[in-house]
Amino acid sequence: MAEEGDRLYVVTADEISDRRRALGKLLIWGSFGLLVAMFAVQWLAQAGTLPIDFASWRPTLYAALFWAVCLNVAQVVLYGERGKRTLFVLPAALFVIFVVVFPLIFALSIAFSDWNLASIDGRKFNGFDNVVQMWNDPFYWNSLKNMVYYTAAILVEYAVAFGLALILASEIRARKFFRVAFLLPLMLSPVAVSWMIGKSMLEGRFGPIARLARTLGWDRPAFFSEPEIARAMIMIMDAWTFIPFMMIMLLAGLQAIPREVQEAARVDGASGWFGFWQVTFPLMLPVSITAILIRIIFKLKLADIIITVTSGGPGGATDSVTSFIYREYRDRSNVGYGTLLAIVYLVLIVLAITLFMKLVDRWMNPRY
Amino acid sequence: MKVEIYNHLQRTGKLSRRNMLKGMAGVGAMAAVSGAATGTSVRPAWAQDSANLRAEILKVPGVGMGSPTDADWQKVGEMCLGPTREVVQPGEFEGVELTFMGLNNQNLHNFLFRGFLKPWEEYTGAKINWVDLAQADYNPRLQQSIATGTVDFDILEMGAPFEGDTAGRGLLDEMPDWVKDLIDMDDYVDYLKAPVGTWDGKTYRVSIDGDTHTFAYRKDYYESEDFAAAWAKEGDGSPWEPPKTWEQVNAQTKFLAGKTDPLTGLGAYGYLDPLKITWGGFGFYFLGNRASPLAKHPDDPAWLFDPDTMKPRINNPAFVQAIQDVMDLVAADAYPPDQLNADPNTTAFQEFLAGTGGMLNWWGDVGSNARTSDTSVVGDVVGFDINPASDRVYNSKTGEWEDTRNESPNNAFIGWGIYVTKNVSGDEKKRKAAWSAAAHLGGKDLSLWMVAYPSGFQPYRNSHFQYDEWEAAGYDRAYIEDYLGSNLDSYNHPNAAVEPRIPGIFQYYSIAEDELAKAFAGQYGSAQEVADAIAEAWEGITDQIGREQQIALYKGSLGL
Repeated sequence: MAEEGDRLYVVTADEISDRRRALGKLLIWGSFGLLVAMFAVQWLAQAGTLPIDFASWRPTLYAALFWAVCLNVAQVVLYGERGKRTLFVLPAALFVIFVVVFPLIFALSIAFSDWNLASIDGRKFNGFDNVVQMWNDPFYWNSLKNMVYYTAAILVEYAVAFGLALILASEIRARKFFRVAFLLPLMLSPVAVSWMIGKSMLEGRFGPIARLARTLGWDRPAFFSEPEIARAMIMIMDAWTFIPFMMIMLLAGLQAIPREVQEAARVDGASGWFGFWQVTFPLMLPVSITAILIRIIFKLKLADIIITVTSGGPGGATDSVTSFIYREYRDRSNVGYGTLLAIVYLVLIVLAITLFMKLVDRWMNPRY
Repeated sequence: MKVEIYNHLQRTGKLSRRNMLKGMAGVGAMAAVSGAATGTSVRPAWAQDSANLRAEILKVPGVGMGSPTDADWQKVGEMCLGPTREVVQPGEFEGVELTFMGLNNQNLHNFLFRGFLKPWEEYTGAKINWVDLAQADYNPRLQQSIATGTVDFDILEMGAPFEGDTAGRGLLDEMPDWVKDLIDMDDYVDYLKAPVGTWDGKTYRVSIDGDTHTFAYRKDYYESEDFAAAWAKEGDGSPWEPPKTWEQVNAQTKFLAGKTDPLTGLGAYGYLDPLKITWGGFGFYFLGNRASPLAKHPDDPAWLFDPDTMKPRINNPAFVQAIQDVMDLVAADAYPPDQLNADPNTTAFQEFLAGTGGMLNWWGDVGSNARTSDTSVVGDVVGFDINPASDRVYNSKTGEWEDTRNESPNNAFIGWGIYVTKNVSGDEKKRKAAWSAAAHLGGKDLSLWMVAYPSGFQPYRNSHFQYDEWEAAGYDRAYIEDYLGSNLDSYNHPNAAVEPRIPGIFQYYSIAEDELAKAFAGQYGSAQEVADAIAEAWEGITDQIGREQQIALYKGSLGL
């Protein structure tokens, strides 16, 4: 049957000779050998074993590209028509390996190194020293703790976004205007939001919100001096920027629900709240989960507003993992440790998101 | 000169065509005596030419005639080619290509250099390729180039604090003697002379800028009869006058909290410490202002580390006192609300200049902005002085306090300079070309134009402080004298605190800022605890970068 199936698609009947097969294998292994040899030569030259002075690692890069081309060509040489089919996927797969997998491996090797850019000795492998340092680093744990607070705030953002989406989905006046108006914050750069709101409107002496607070009886308004208030302010500014994103996704979901469903519920005697809670909300769950998931991913990258407005203060109360790594890496040139922190954060994110999706899957598709 | 100062002077009419023409007649004479007046060694053969030249270049485009353009920069570059012509033949560098890495802040720095060097390129035949960097990208680009062995520039605009990273690693080319003669290094203000710009006795830097923190205070606070009367009741018995020591600063700051500002009618405050000190390393300078008179002993060139061991001094009694003073003021609620979120920029430009707070330390531009910025309300009531002294000084060698008054201005950052990298060392023609370009930019006459017109650079030569020359060119005498006087006193102070030019110095500052921010937010029980935490982190950085190397480089930077 397989052969019959193949007949449907194979245009040319390839007769692959032994000689051609040998040429194909030679292409692959020959170019791979060249790559390994070039890498070895450069490695030894860098270690000082060979008296050759390479300006950069480009020769190895060129050898790798040559190997990739040979690997692709060899597919056709070796397998003919079937090899051509492979070419639809292989270049893309190689590209992914080159730009994702290799850098990740390189990042891992840096993460387990002592590499301060100011050190004359350069990079030194230091085993698990960076992990131990991380374990004992109160700044990192503090920023992780803050991330838990920031992520938890997404539930409130979700509730607000759902409410706004419901309003915009209903027959209100100037609906189109409000849709655009509610989307505006999303169009602003978080850095612009930081300056307009965090550093201007919330400015303690002349900012309009501070003036209003004084009018309302708060003598010395200070929005970034108490840890809880400062963290709340960061949350509010971030929420203001990104609630429209969740809102627009939820609005699209609401509009996709057929009107008949609500009408049927109403005919069956469901009240407004009952209709929402028992009909609309469950139907919206898949969209909601997607919106929350994407929002969590956005939130885990939170750094710009914090760096611009508080630099992580007061005393680290608003620090996010990203803003802390930014200081560690950029201000202190501590490449090895900074990379380890980023890798650990990546692992934590992957684990947390996987767990979240599993739980959601179990909740939405209960297995009895 | 800073752009905003220049623009404001034009707007407010402090520069005028009439003033300029009136004064111009005196320029030649004043400039002619400037060398003698400053004791600088202008070569006799050049003296008259130079005097005329200084008068002539100040006419391009003319004070009060609008902001200079590229055509003006080229013209000035052409007029100042004299020293180059003395040592370089026309077309001598034909075929030489140089790469110049510098900043593009406010469309100045490299933009000016391009104009100044255009006629130099035409005369010498060399070609320059430019690498322009934003300030924020500068340090990462430099560090990555060094760490990855990809120093791809021949000439470098660089701040002196990075000399440890570059000269300390042997990446710079030593300045030839003919360059030293050409740029008249004796004219530099004292603190820019060796050891700044040198390593192991070798000179690497052509200075084009100077930096220091100076003390600004509100004169109207001290003219207020209400404050004087209240101080007589509540104060420590001392007269109500601008503070001369940090002890007085602290006492007056506590006293002023809760009073009413005579200018704005809002709350009065004393000294403004930027409590959001996390500022990429630059925030540490502000603790340095408080600490330097306590920690910088006149008999000891070091003050941040022990030069023999690199043991941090940040947790010695002097620094602990400085930190404790800030913590005490936080506890006394003596700062404006939300001061914990006030970084140095906010403290200077949104608070002090806007009328909040009575005292401040900052670089030269706050002094000038006070008079020239549209958002400043304190222009007529601001006074300047050097960094306050302290009533005692800690001697790290004996481990004892000494009850003697100690002054120590904090010359924070040291300013920009032009350096030549080792890339050119193997090619004598290229090397001479690179140094010739650097000498052209750091030339004495060209430098006068740079500090008189918008350039981003502060005065840094003794000859820049000839107020008559400025007045003759059309500037307001009182303004210029006020603006520059406190800088000059700080630059030339015998016990000025100059920062260590060692690799990674901003890493030390940055981690200290993180810990200090926690302390100011009340997360540490005492100043000693936070100081010990900083010291521990500094030891970690020293070990990571390499202790022996740091010791050697620190000693080198101190000229020991």
